[in-house]
Amino acid sequence: MFGRRRDRDRRSAAHVAQHAAAARDDRKVYSKRGRRLPGEQSVPNYTPSISARSIDGHLLRTGQEVYAWYRLAPQRWSFRSDSQRQDLIAAIAGQYAELQGRWMHLRVTNRPYPIRMWAEAHVHNAVRRLPDTPGTLSFDDYMVGEQQQLMGRSMAEKEVYLGVQVQTRNMMDRAVERAAPVLRKVFPDAVDAELVAIESEIDHLDQVIGSAGLEGRPATAEEMSWLMHRSCSLGLPAPRNLPAVPGAPWEPEDLASFTDAADFHQEPYSPTVTVRGRTGSNAGIKRHVAVLTVGLMHGLQIPEQDDPWVQRSDRLPAAVEWSARIYVRRPEEVSGELQRQMSKVRSQVRHYTDEHELDPPQSLARQASRVLEIDDEMTSGFTALGTRVRSWWRLAVSGPTEREALRLAQGLLDLYKPKVAIEHPEAQYAIAREFIPGEPLSSSAYLRRGSVLWAASAVPTATAEVGDRRGILLGETVTATRRPVAWDPWMAQELRDSSGLTAMVAGLGAGKSFLGGGIVYKTLRAGAHWTLLDPSGPLAALCELPELKPYARPINLLNAQAGILNPYRVVAEPQLDHFMDEEDPERAWRRERALAAATRRRLVLDVLSGLLPFEVARLPQTRIVLLRAVRTVGGRPDAHPGMVFEALRRDASEHHEHAVVVADFLDEMRERMSLLIPEQDLDPYNEARDDRLTVLTMAGLNLPKDGVGREHWTDAEALGVEMLNLAAWLTQRSIYERPKDLRKGVWIDEAFFLSEVPTGRVLMNRFARDSRKWNVRVLLSSQIPADFLKIQGFVTLLDSVFVGRLDDDQAQTDALRLLKVPIGAGYEQVVASLGRRPGGVRTNLERDRAPRQFIFGDGAGGVERIRIDFSGPHLEHLRNSLDTTPDALRDGAESTEVEVSSPPQDPFAYAEQYTDEYDDELAADLEVGLTDELVDSAHGEGGNRRPGREGQA
Amino acid sequence: MRVRTDDEVYRVDAVWLGPPRATFPWRARYVAWGVGIVVFLLVTAVQRQVGFGFDFINTGWGFVITVALTRFICSRISHERPLSSVLTMWVRELTAPRETTSGQGGAASAARIRVNPQRPRRRPKKGAKRASAATRSQHRGQQDRRQKEVRGVRTPA
Repeated sequence: MFGRRRDRDRRSAAHVAQHAAAARDDRKVYSKRGRRLPGEQSVPNYTPSISARSIDGHLLRTGQEVYAWYRLAPQRWSFRSDSQRQDLIAAIAGQYAELQGRWMHLRVTNRPYPIRMWAEAHVHNAVRRLPDTPGTLSFDDYMVGEQQQLMGRSMAEKEVYLGVQVQTRNMMDRAVERAAPVLRKVFPDAVDAELVAIESEIDHLDQVIGSAGLEGRPATAEEMSWLMHRSCSLGLPAPRNLPAVPGAPWEPEDLASFTDAADFHQEPYSPTVTVRGRTGSNAGIKRHVAVLTVGLMHGLQIPEQDDPWVQRSDRLPAAVEWSARIYVRRPEEVSGELQRQMSKVRSQVRHYTDEHELDPPQSLARQASRVLEIDDEMTSGFTALGTRVRSWWRLAVSGPTEREALRLAQGLLDLYKPKVAIEHPEAQYAIAREFIPGEPLSSSAYLRRGSVLWAASAVPTATAEVGDRRGILLGETVTATRRPVAWDPWMAQELRDSSGLTAMVAGLGAGKSFLGGGIVYKTLRAGAHWTLLDPSGPLAALCELPELKPYARPINLLNAQAGILNPYRVVAEPQLDHFMDEEDPERAWRRERALAAATRRRLVLDVLSGLLPFEVARLPQTRIVLLRAVRTVGGRPDAHPGMVFEALRRDASEHHEHAVVVADFLDEMRERMSLLIPEQDLDPYNEARDDRLTVLTMAGLNLPKDGVGREHWTDAEALGVEMLNLAAWLTQRSIYERPKDLRKGVWIDEAFFLSEVPTGRVLMNRFARDSRKWNVRVLLSSQIPADFLKIQGFVTLLDSVFVGRLDDDQAQTDALRLLKVPIGAGYEQVVASLGRRPGGVRTNLERDRAPRQFIFGDGAGGVERIRIDFSGPHLEHLRNSLDTTPDALRDGAESTEVEVSSPPQDPFAYAEQYTDEYDDELAADLEVGLTDELVDSAHGEGGNRRPGREGQA
Repeated sequence: MRVRTDDEVYRVDAVWLGPPRATFPWRARYVAWGVGIVVFLLVTAVQRQVGFGFDFINTGWGFVITVALTRFICSRISHERPLSSVLTMWVRELTAPRETTSGQGGAASAARIRVNPQRPRRRPKKGAKRASAATRSQHRGQQDRRQKEVRGVRTPA
């Protein structure tokens, strides 16, 4: 065990420790050290085989020094502007500079989070999940498949600790510590005097390390225990259960629990050190650890071109432990040394030129100028960024065999080539011990000198984390680290109190439907309820999946019952029992009802004026008479637009004539508005069904081309947009029909119309407000980010964003705006290159089946480039059903066609002959008045692929 | 922002080319001269111990050996690994703990411990209070024994 054997001592130490644990309550009065119980034999003293002697809170004391340990906060690095990154580096450098004359020990370790732990959390989180349908993929099989897909991966979390030397201990401190058992009885204050004396200094350090940059906070007892364990069992797998953390300081005997956990040994000049686990879950496990050190380094362009140089090791597909010893030098020390170096250079030059009449090497001139540069850096400016450090940086990788460990070490060497040399020194055991907090530096070889700015540009805390650890698996990150990405769409509402709004923006074929469909499928399995509005219809295929079929219902709104889109009914009527948690439920409910009524009036006004020809709608009188009529009808949920027509005809004001004209216009369109006006005694909302998945489609809807102004819309297009708007309201209504706490989801595809109709903003506000209260995730997808940006205040309401490939420059900029990522910092290129196969693919006859990539902003500060991965064999049927790419050669094309016919018992089903009649009349109308549109509407445009949008998308 | 280390400044190759105007045909760092002198003294000492005389031939050979050894040592050290660190690391290699293949101690055995199935008990006195109940008598008997055998312990009154 760590060199010197102390088996005899250790056994007795464990004995003492047991007694101490029993008598923990007495700890305040008596120390366990040296206190002999009646009848107990004298026990030999125990001295830990490591330098650490005691741990009090975040203070670690060795025989010579006191170190304060801090846990540093992770820092986002991707998708930040260069100036933000530079600010971060400068802030860290400033903090280092304040620690002049002190030693620091930087430790990077990790806390693994294996996929099986994700699976546990996910299953635990999947409340009220979908019952399994016999003969289909069961939930258990699905979970097995998900874990197999990511076999052996880990969502390991990097943890960075920084130990700062508080002071060196003098003879007196050590003597007091030795005499503590006696002193506690005689003069108890003297025992704690050492730590009390440095209190103000520790406060100062807490404050320096805690400010922006490092953002460190004192390490907790549990974290200290973790760090000690990981360091004393370097390279071994993480222990499954750590010994309990005492509530009181660790005394020397307690440290045996760290040192006993593993054994280090090595053969002379062997390339690795062997670590053998002895206790707990690691008992009998052996690992070979290769310890490397950072050698010479070229100039690096951080942050413009290069990653922070410690963070770079995250790219290795294995955990890398770091241990750096940094001494921040006082300027006076450095200037003296620089002068010596300068005179050395001068004397060498003289030796060459004067004494031997030779040309001195070029390097001498370079060194002389560099000395002057450094001197200049140190003396210029008011900032302390020129402060110099001496440092030693060690890395460790481990593998079950020596070969494996060396392979990983070689991987690190290659990773850092050519700008940073990574060396593999001898004395592996001694260097491996350096990782343990409190151990001295083993050798001065591979010393790196530099400025604090250089040391800070290592940024070990930079991470590439996105998503959470309990949600559905989306894929993996593809930047610095390969890490599975999980996302729980309801975590934001349930834990972070933020809105549930998600924007999904991607061009044609960038995988929008695939991603959204995957999210819907996986969350359905985990117990969510979804309502989808998919104007083009391919998502209805989700309802055909065998395991979802019993719980899913596709509805083609265009074939549904009359009045389904009645604007008075699509706005839900508030229920009193939903306001029971308010202070004054009655009042809140009344207020909400008034708001609902106003929303209905607004919606009716909006829809009816949207249906009128643009020239008529623009007239001020039109608005006046419509407003009056709508007000007359009121905001009751049982009203319908037909009543507004009547009210218009009854208008008795000075605009009576105009009101009648407007009523005539609207009456003219009445047949086409049959979905908005219910038939007598028929209310499509009477029967409610509890479906897990409802897909509303509007296949055949005629939508305007992109970029065409409102004044050029045809009647059919205006009607299409208004129907889509009403359908969105209908979708939104579905959330109020279910219990508040239930996880619900709403996905509105082709959500561009939100910016086209005035009530789009109202709908957005409702979504933003109620998504948190009602636990709803709202997915809005569009091909053009500008559609969302046009809605005022949209970006502030957003929670998370998915951005797929976009080709248009403007669209790329807009997408970055949605992500709240700096614009003009080169990230536009990233958006353009998402998921594109490099090289000449133009002549390729194979389809690009590479997984699509997205930039995912998770709303909690993480923004990363991720690859969507639903490639597990258990999800094959899902992939097939979500494949919207046309393929004439596909087998059984008929079977994958969107099924629009509803079951006969469906209350939304509409009489078939009426459908025909409706279509016929619509066609006839178009033929008479608007022949130019017939072609479009007959061919059922309005799907995912609107030709006008392709150019920009 | 270009960040770089200051290492270049400290990598001055301090060489001694020889006395002024008399340039040696080789270039050796000061540290090599230092190592060379120590090695030469050691080699000469070893030669004397082994029994070689102090003459021109032997000193010449000693000189050759010195040059070879010095070159070997200097090839192992650099600015990155100064002589002192190389020596430290060498010591650390030697003192690192080795794998122990042979187990310590042996099988624990209780064979030599004398085992008695019964603890020795006081034999009951013949004729004394034979009529009293068995349990009571046993209890009292124990009490008596304690009073007699264990001295100096206060019994509860």
